Amino acid sequence: MFYLHGIDPSFNGAFFAGAFVRSFQLGSLYALIALGYTMVYGIIRLINFAHGEVFMVGAFAAYFLFSRTPMAWPVAVVVALVVTYGFMQILNFWRGRMTDPLVLAGGGVAFLVVAVALASTRLGWLAAMVASMFITGVLGVTIDKVAYKPLRGAPRNSMLITAIAVSFFLQNFGILAFSNRQTPFRPPSFFTGPLQFGVLGETLYTSWMVVLVPVVTAVLVVGLTLFVTRTRLGKAMRATAQDAETARMMGVNVDRVIATTFLLGSMLAAAAGVMWGMTFGSINQPAIFGILPGIKAFAAAVIGGIGSLPGAVVGGVLLGFLENFLTALLPRTHAFAGITEYKDTFAFLAMIVILLVRPSGIVGEDLSEKV
Amino acid sequence: MSTVKGAATPAAAGYRPHYTANRLRNTLLSLGGMVVLVLLLALVDGGDSIKLKQVLALFAIWGIATVSLNLVNGVTGILSLGHHGFMLIGGYATGLLILPAAQRENIAASARSSLSDFAIGLSVENWARALGLEALAAPETIWARFLIALFIGGLLAAAFGVVVGFPSLRLRGDYLAIVTFAFGEAIRLLASTPMMSSFTNGALGFAGVPTGFGKSLWWTFGLLSITVFVMARLKYSSYGRALQGIREDEIAAEAMGVNTSYHKVLAFAISAFFAGVSGGLYVSWVGTARLDLFLFFLTFYYLVAISVGGTGSVTGALIGTALVVVVRQYGDPLEEAYPLSTWLVALGCVLLATALVAYLVRRHRRTRPTAGPLVWVPLALGAAAVAFGVFGAGATALQREWQGFGMRAITLSILLIAIMILRPAGVMGRREFTWSGLFRERLDEPTDEERRQDAWLTNPELAASLAQGVDDEDDDDGATASGGAVG
Repeated sequence: MFYLHGIDPSFNGAFFAGAFVRSFQLGSLYALIALGYTMVYGIIRLINFAHGEVFMVGAFAAYFLFSRTPMAWPVAVVVALVVTYGFMQILNFWRGRMTDPLVLAGGGVAFLVVAVALASTRLGWLAAMVASMFITGVLGVTIDKVAYKPLRGAPRNSMLITAIAVSFFLQNFGILAFSNRQTPFRPPSFFTGPLQFGVLGETLYTSWMVVLVPVVTAVLVVGLTLFVTRTRLGKAMRATAQDAETARMMGVNVDRVIATTFLLGSMLAAAAGVMWGMTFGSINQPAIFGILPGIKAFAAAVIGGIGSLPGAVVGGVLLGFLENFLTALLPRTHAFAGITEYKDTFAFLAMIVILLVRPSGIVGEDLSEKV
Repeated sequence: MSTVKGAATPAAAGYRPHYTANRLRNTLLSLGGMVVLVLLLALVDGGDSIKLKQVLALFAIWGIATVSLNLVNGVTGILSLGHHGFMLIGGYATGLLILPAAQRENIAASARSSLSDFAIGLSVENWARALGLEALAAPETIWARFLIALFIGGLLAAAFGVVVGFPSLRLRGDYLAIVTFAFGEAIRLLASTPMMSSFTNGALGFAGVPTGFGKSLWWTFGLLSITVFVMARLKYSSYGRALQGIREDEIAAEAMGVNTSYHKVLAFAISAFFAGVSGGLYVSWVGTARLDLFLFFLTFYYLVAISVGGTGSVTGALIGTALVVVVRQYGDPLEEAYPLSTWLVALGCVLLATALVAYLVRRHRRTRPTAGPLVWVPLALGAAAVAFGVFGAGATALQREWQGFGMRAITLSILLIAIMILRPAGVMGRREFTWSGLFRERLDEPTDEERRQDAWLTNPELAASLAQGVDDEDDDDGATASGGAVG
């Protein structure tokens, strides 16, 4: 970085450390969303255009649980019904041959956490996050059931158009339900509160969110990996991703596996949505909130190799760095004024280049074209 | 009307011999249709309903874009989602090229780019002056400048269409769709960058574009007619056949000697050109060029129109556009404020309709039991909602008013999902509206082979058995081809 010397005094160790942690934070969020894209694509070869909107619903659902204003009783009843229904759905998934005590216990504990924590205010943020994950997971399953399941055998383009329609539906449903305006999203002061540490003699002021987001992401990713590799349903998922027809013949309930995929992907997106709101302090209009993170996370999934779980994480983190670190590296001279306004296009350009050069992505397997 | 050679007796019941198209009648009908359309436009243009004029102009503008998107999405079978980007390019270019000088200087003054001086000089008027064509720079010849600007905007969009078309050489299906979407969004993001804001004035856009053209029925419908004519001719030209071949099976088309790369890029370029023209008209319709005019919702509306009308059908695209425009422009009642009880009743009615549709579909598909959960769940919920809304209308909680922002778009997306699930081919399928199709005629002469088959089918000895309903095993298409639309 020889050219940086003497250009701008703000280019110091703390500056780069700050850019590094922020890039990692953003990359973790992208990775969480990208996991949903990559899982759905891996199983049914569908680019779930509505995933960005699922992310939006996750954030807004959490906002409504976050807000300390007392909930109107009909809303509370609806929320309770939805959460209960979601819990019953999950029970349904793991009923019968798919019974997995570990997961079932996990689901039960999660539900208890929601129930208990919703009542208290201390753990309100965690409760809101988990509840939002549940609600959004149910939404994902519902989308699959209503819009995608009837089209299983249809041409790929019809499924894609349907996904676009679902995305558009959710955008406008967001306007309807949450009203189309910028919404402040205030996490507990503990998380936005200052975190400072010294880097090369300079002090970096940042917030606990830069720690929380990667940690929560890591926990969720490890949980997902354990689920996919250690449980029967995870094995069924892998089998379906390999070859749905054969898996069906081997006794795998493919529809249930697909529903589980949507459930997990949507839950991760909801977690990302909540943390997105906490990170940036606000969630903007529901009509556009999901689009840019969604498309960028898709780009991340493509860059990493769509269909591959590690690929999504790698791609997400890489995109976070590409977007945040690259713009931080560029010197603040007049020639580069306003360069940050190009950062959104980086994601698109990176995706287009990767698609053209290596469509299977960095980690992805070789997707040679089949006749 | 000429009967088939060698047919001694009328055909067996249910069978109609070939008729070739009555070209004179078809031409007269077409001419009559045009006259009626022109009279209708004149009536609306002279009438005092501004709303109707606006709706028709918007129909024409969006129709141009839909019909052009249909070339890529329907005829060539490539799902392109970047149409709003092409429209943006055409719209901004057209707007900038006919913008009055004062507005252009305003834009340049607010921008921070070194391109500002260039942007100030950028107008058809200045070019005409530089070339010594004072007549073209006069205020009353703005229509000519608009036409030139529209053409340049279209060409610029077509150039971007070529760029977007290139990934289609390597990528298929979903990947290509996402790349076109990314291009469309990237164009929008680029238009808001500081570099381009001396042209585009950043995200704010610029006002002051002359609105005389986008709101004029003669201009918009004239350009729509040209687009429809070009697209319809193109569909049945050798190019169109090649594009349809690519849609059906790319590898087979390549093996048959179709240069698929060339044709795909060509389809993108032509489609983008008309999208650019449509964008220019759209900007002139609104009077401003803003980034939020060219969001993805445009492409979504065109997708709805194409899917409803029938993928690959020009007339279908127009039918779909009409539906979209009507829902959009006359959908105000959907978004007004009503008491909650009214909304409950409406929701209940929608649920009841869903139950009815589900029941009909299940009966049509012979699904047993006919009334599954998909029928009785919406039925019960709908009935409950209606009852609750009707009998609880007096309750204070249900008298609160609630405004349904976004209902129009929600209606359209539900419609699209329903169509994709229930009738993926759309209203027209891949067929076109033709007079011959309306009268169940063939457009072409039957071949000798078909004549022989018809003679065989209209054999009086066989006719008796056909009338009795004895089914022949050899039930191929030649025997049942009794006209119908050609597509």
